[in-house]
Amino acid sequence: MNVIEINQLTKYYGKHRGIENVSFSVEEGEIFGFIGPNGAGKSTTIRALLSLIHPTSGSATIFGKDCIKYGSEIRRDIGYLPSEVFYYEHMKVREVLNYSASFYDNVDTSRIQSLAEVMDLDLNKRIDDLSYGNKKKVGIIQGLLHEPKLIILDEPTGGLDPLMQQKFFELIRTENQNGATVLFSSHILSEVQKLCGRVAIIKDGTIVRVENIRDMQKHNYKKFTLDYRGVIDVHHFNLEGVTNLTVDESTLHFLFKGDINRMVERLQGQNLMNMLVEEPSLEEIFMHYYQKEDQP
Amino acid sequence: MNVFKKEMKANIKSLIIWCCAQVFIIFAGMMKYQGFSDSQVDVNALFAAFPEEIMVVFGLGSVDITKVAGFYSVFFLYFMLLAAVHAVMFGAVEVSKEERDHCADFIYTKPVRRFQVIWPKLLAGVVNILIFNMVTFAASVFFIAQHNDGDGLIDKVSLTMLALFILQLFFLALGALFGSLLKNTKQATATASGLVMGFFILSVVVDLYDKLAFLKVFTPFKYFEGASLMINDQLSFSSAAILLIVSLIFFGLTFLAFNRRDLTT
Repeated sequence: MNVIEINQLTKYYGKHRGIENVSFSVEEGEIFGFIGPNGAGKSTTIRALLSLIHPTSGSATIFGKDCIKYGSEIRRDIGYLPSEVFYYEHMKVREVLNYSASFYDNVDTSRIQSLAEVMDLDLNKRIDDLSYGNKKKVGIIQGLLHEPKLIILDEPTGGLDPLMQQKFFELIRTENQNGATVLFSSHILSEVQKLCGRVAIIKDGTIVRVENIRDMQKHNYKKFTLDYRGVIDVHHFNLEGVTNLTVDESTLHFLFKGDINRMVERLQGQNLMNMLVEEPSLEEIFMHYYQKEDQP
Repeated sequence: MNVFKKEMKANIKSLIIWCCAQVFIIFAGMMKYQGFSDSQVDVNALFAAFPEEIMVVFGLGSVDITKVAGFYSVFFLYFMLLAAVHAVMFGAVEVSKEERDHCADFIYTKPVRRFQVIWPKLLAGVVNILIFNMVTFAASVFFIAQHNDGDGLIDKVSLTMLALFILQLFFLALGALFGSLLKNTKQATATASGLVMGFFILSVVVDLYDKLAFLKVFTPFKYFEGASLMINDQLSFSSAAILLIVSLIFFGLTFLAFNRRDLTT
């Protein structure tokens, strides 16, 4: 069964494009990634699902019900973590969470305590005294408190330190194992790869494709930056899998896709000052993979 | 109920400040009356020498202010102004503040319809303006009694407060409508307070130029007159009816407009 079904969803803000003909569906029990660069339309799609905004055309259903018409009913079983978390500043953490809980029937409020312990959050602090990361934790607890059947996460990891991210991912996995479906939006590919089974890729307001994460990993690009001591031998890296090779004074940049051992071999004997191997940004991947493939 | 309680709590401080200011104004105003009546000067003759424009702007139209009821009736103009600003601001801020504080995502993703959030907020507004009204009533009766041999003119003041409350409702509804129609809180409060100012200026202009008397209907400040409330014990039924009906329409439009709104983060 599909928990989310989005059908030709379009949103214009005046003349400004939000999203155009977005369609994809999320099956029950999966962790579905929603990935695209900033401003591609991820939040717009999510906000339409939550009926915070009204779509210009198209429709979406959650649990089989139209998400504008039956919004309040559907939201009983949705936990949502916005990308930017803000709460009533003059309230204490505990007050905000209790206030949040008061909107749902039969919430087990002891979960406030246990989730706060997992996330290492002080419930007696005032919201305006919290750091960005701690506010995010309030958001996470607030989103998971009522044991939702569908968890919607919009860029959830910003502001969390790596240890917290780890704990957060574990929490999400546990909720998923207990039956929750997850829609996870992000602009960081590695994050999505860690957690998700399938992904929808959005760019400039339209869905580029929906893929299995395993297929995506075949296109596992790494971004290399090499600082040379001496003269750069560009032709040395003329091998299969290397793209976007650029030279910038004594620095060489390129993307590499393929067996990493071949690259390690090739790097031997190079007179380097420094070397950086990174996850390429989504934009870079889009530019060098999707554009090429979309052309006949 | 949870939204109502939270909003009452959030507004308690500002309500106390408004009420204190109001009590002080009534106290200070009635002290002046003491000054008039002690000085033995013919105040009416004195004021008759003032240019009419000045008298109109300060609400000293044609009443005998040497009598306590007449003197107090002049307050009505100031009450209307203060209460209008209080109510219109309350309405405008209350409806739009989640978006201003970036927590619209929090409350409007809860399993509630939008009107289920808006109506307890407006109810909190009605309770707030009612408390403001009751405090005004109590302070008025108390301080009038002090200067009127213990007679607080309860009947007359009650009627005045009823008129004031109807105006407060109107301005609360007007503020809420702006809050739901305009882009953000800042625009809503600016437009609302500008309009209150405009209504006031219009009410003065109407008093000064008889030819423009037909414009009276366009300013709520001319729907009730302090003198007729305090001296003739008369509250215009048609004025009350019009203001209440318009308020109801504004409340209804607020719900409609807010329901269609695209909420921003």
